[in-house]
Amino acid sequence: MIEVSGLRKTYGDFAAVVDSDFSVDDGEVFGIVGPNGAGKTTTLKILAGLVEPTDGEVTVAGFDASDPEMRRHLGFLPEESPLYEEMTALSYLRFFADLYDVPREVADERIEAALDRLELDHRERRLGDVSKGMKRKVAIARSLVNDPDVLVYDEPASGLDPVTTNSVLAFTRELRETGKTVVFSAHNLYHVESVCDRVVVMNEGRIVARGSVDGIRERHGETTYRVFTDAEPTATPALADLDATTEEVGDRFRMAVPSMDAVAAVREAVADAGGEVVDIRSREPSLEDVFLDIVGRPMPGRYTGDLGGDSGKSANDEDAGESGGTKAASTTEATE
Amino acid sequence: MTDRIRRVARRCATGVRRVLRRLAVGVRRVLRVARWESARASGGVDRRTLAAGIALLLVAGGVVGVGVATGVAGLDVDRDVYRVGVDPGSPYAEAIDEEASLRPVSPETASIGDSADAVVVTVIRPGSGDDGTIDGADVEEVVVRATDTQKGEAAAASVREAVESHNERLMRAEPNQTAAFPVTVTLRYVGRTTGFDDGATLGGGGSDDGTGGESDSGSDATDGKIDSRGSETGDASSGGNSTSRTDDTETGDGPSGGGSADGGPDGSDSGVDGSDTSIGDTDSGDADADSSDDGGFAVPSIGGGTFGADTVGSPGSITPPFPFTSLLLAFAFLVPMNFLIQAYGSSILDERTNRRGEPLLVTPLSPAEIVAGKTLPYAAAAAVVTSLIALAVGGGALSVVAVAPIAAAFLGATFVGAMFARSFKELTFVTVGVSVLLTTYAFVPAIFTNVTPVALVSPLTLVVFDLQGEAVSAGEALFSTAPMAVGAALLFGLGLGVYREEDMFSQKPVTRKFLDALAVRLFAMPAGAGAVGGGVLDRDRLRALGSVALLTACTIPFVFVAELLAVAVLFALPVTVSIPVLLVTIAFVEEVAKSVGLYAGFERGVFARTDGVGDGDGVGDGDGRLRVALAVGLASGTGFFLAEKVTAVVQAVGLTDLFLGRAAFGDVTGLSGLPPLALAALFFAPLVLHVATTSVASVGASRGRTAYAVALTLATLGHAAYNAGVVSLG
Repeated sequence: MIEVSGLRKTYGDFAAVVDSDFSVDDGEVFGIVGPNGAGKTTTLKILAGLVEPTDGEVTVAGFDASDPEMRRHLGFLPEESPLYEEMTALSYLRFFADLYDVPREVADERIEAALDRLELDHRERRLGDVSKGMKRKVAIARSLVNDPDVLVYDEPASGLDPVTTNSVLAFTRELRETGKTVVFSAHNLYHVESVCDRVVVMNEGRIVARGSVDGIRERHGETTYRVFTDAEPTATPALADLDATTEEVGDRFRMAVPSMDAVAAVREAVADAGGEVVDIRSREPSLEDVFLDIVGRPMPGRYTGDLGGDSGKSANDEDAGESGGTKAASTTEATE
Repeated sequence: MTDRIRRVARRCATGVRRVLRRLAVGVRRVLRVARWESARASGGVDRRTLAAGIALLLVAGGVVGVGVATGVAGLDVDRDVYRVGVDPGSPYAEAIDEEASLRPVSPETASIGDSADAVVVTVIRPGSGDDGTIDGADVEEVVVRATDTQKGEAAAASVREAVESHNERLMRAEPNQTAAFPVTVTLRYVGRTTGFDDGATLGGGGSDDGTGGESDSGSDATDGKIDSRGSETGDASSGGNSTSRTDDTETGDGPSGGGSADGGPDGSDSGVDGSDTSIGDTDSGDADADSSDDGGFAVPSIGGGTFGADTVGSPGSITPPFPFTSLLLAFAFLVPMNFLIQAYGSSILDERTNRRGEPLLVTPLSPAEIVAGKTLPYAAAAAVVTSLIALAVGGGALSVVAVAPIAAAFLGATFVGAMFARSFKELTFVTVGVSVLLTTYAFVPAIFTNVTPVALVSPLTLVVFDLQGEAVSAGEALFSTAPMAVGAALLFGLGLGVYREEDMFSQKPVTRKFLDALAVRLFAMPAGAGAVGGGVLDRDRLRALGSVALLTACTIPFVFVAELLAVAVLFALPVTVSIPVLLVTIAFVEEVAKSVGLYAGFERGVFARTDGVGDGDGVGDGDGRLRVALAVGLASGTGFFLAEKVTAVVQAVGLTDLFLGRAAFGDVTGLSGLPPLALAALFFAPLVLHVATTSVASVGASRGRTAYAVALTLATLGHAAYNAGVVSLG
């Protein structure tokens, strides 16, 4: 559905995107991740035909990205989307449907469906008088009035409260189920992780990693094991000499080690010190960890500490990864 | 063969259908945006504000209506201001009685300074009036005596004006208008002098056609031509605008045959009822009338005949008959523009604020369709308001047609300003600047409507003509309106260049956006390009050079307007000052016009400024850059030369009759006696000039800002020297 080849965009001496290649399949939700200035937004704008590439080829839905006809098949949600505040939600959406030559009856049907799904009330209220979340939902609805094949969403949940964020993310997941192709960028890696099938990681205009979220995690992240014990890490020389990151958590100590062999060594040392292993948990690497590993620096403005201590799953708990994600998300929202 | 023709015809028909379909789609889209823009704009005003506005309008209308009604009822404040003692049997009694501001009182009871502000004293010839009646022949002298106060002087002046008006009405009532307003033409030939002579004015090197042929100022050649419209104008405006001079020897059958009715506006020497009486202190009109004889009332015959502008002058040499009323009414057309551009500029900038208009750019609509749709409601509002004003002030279709390019220029300039402005604060400066500049450009030249062809620089002059009831030729209308109309279109084109994501939502300085707007119209010059020894010109290179030539050609309306403005501004100064300034100004304007696009191209990388443009032929890469600079310089100079020829229209309206006009727009038309080869050389001399100076500036532009500034200065000086040579030849 989308083919990008040798994409390059420069502004004077500054290269915003350098030699970018990727493709997006039909019905796929594709994520673009990266820090500020990585070239994500520029890439999305090139896909939307807003910015002309300096070099390279970009086709969307079978059209060159600069072809106005392509825009009939595209829905675009920019990172910022101030609306015409004098207009009501309904008149605003009808206006855009009109520009896409959508018949009034069909437009009203689509608008109603989108607004219902997005739980948007106050449709006759002027957009200047509604909340930021409502405006974002109107902007999302706007991207759907022409029933596009491809949706390009730049930070769709940026700056929204957790409830609205979850609503928007859930909506995006539903879009995939309806066969839409979605290209999605976000600062919040959890958003990308929870929605996207595949991602590319961009840094300084270049794609530095690509693949499925799990694939990238496998390549660039490692599972860590956390051993909870009541033994002080300095109780015995054997404990002190262990290659483990130790932290005091309440009345216990948490020792993070990279492998099961290391876990066995910790258990042995704790037993020698007369202590007891209370719990053992595993933690899968988050996309943020992967990002940190690839880019060499944390996401700007992001929470980089422990995302809640652990995933809440024991070494044998197969299903705890999902709950860990939820926990991480809550922490992320709290820090935004 | 027949099949082939059919196929071609079918293809043509398909092509036409496709074009029409696209056009229809485009129009539909524009109308949609226009409809929603109107809804948005009106949505910004809540119903209460709208109701309050309508109520205010109604109140204002009511006040005006009441005023009119009370005026009809005789309650106007101008009535019976001055008390004038006059004998009911006096020939002046009727004139005073007809004037609303004057109240006649009996001379027996009138006491100056007490019961009367002025008294008309009629001195009867001895022995006359014995039959009990007094007519004009019985009057020896009429004197108006007034108090030595401002009111007394005003009363005396009003009496004089009342008598003049009365005389005018009598003249108009005469069945023989030729006798009532006779014309005498006196031919007098004088030797040609140069325009640089002391005392020569910019207005025409002393060309004082139409001044009745009696002027003895330095004149090139007075052919004594009397323009027919000049005479008609005189008729229409109490003779004041006439270039004619009455001659009492030819008016034997006219009732006003007595006296020396000079036909000037203040020529109050005209008699009453055939008498040659003068009105005491009020005969100062003689002086004015005399000045008319000396060429003071130089009335141009703009629009007369085919481009027949044969009367010129300057404020320094004439006493222009300013058409105040028409001018004021014409100014009314400009007032709404100022409000309109505020709303329009805000709407455009609103699209750019917080990237609000970004979603529109992702729709299938082109930027041109979006802008057209957003502009249409304001253009329509301008058309409606202009039509209403025209109806109100008595203007016709010509007024509306003339104001249209002004409105377009207001909107175009505001559009560009709103696209370049970075905030509403900057937009305020832009709109004020647009208002002041365009109002000045439109209004100031129109002041000289009846004085000089320079006035035709402004379309508002056409409005003044229209309000005066004068005909305007198609050439004059085109000359007046085309530069502004084309300029407005190009302004929209300039703004459209930056109606894209990369420029709309950025905070670039105005200068950078301006360069962006120019550079976006250029095509890149392929590496190794260069017309000068650069090898075969392939399609890409031709396209690049063609874009340069076209961009430069598009600057012509602005160059033209700037030069006309310079002429208008320098019009009143002595030629010893204005000519050198004008020559340098024009050279600078033209050199900037030719090279600024090239500078933009080099700045924005459309033309490579680095040494990487060598063509690989072993010549240094610096040579490649030089070749590109020379090639684009050649293209730009050629484009300018070709477009400049369009300005030949000034020949048609007689602007080159002006000495300053020749300096600004002169060509080789006056050198028809030269051999063809010399004429051809002179014809193409400007091409050589433009190519040479633009190449200099282009080479500078290819090397950076400072080098461009230096090169531009050199090019300007060279160009000014050439201009000086042309003027001295002419």
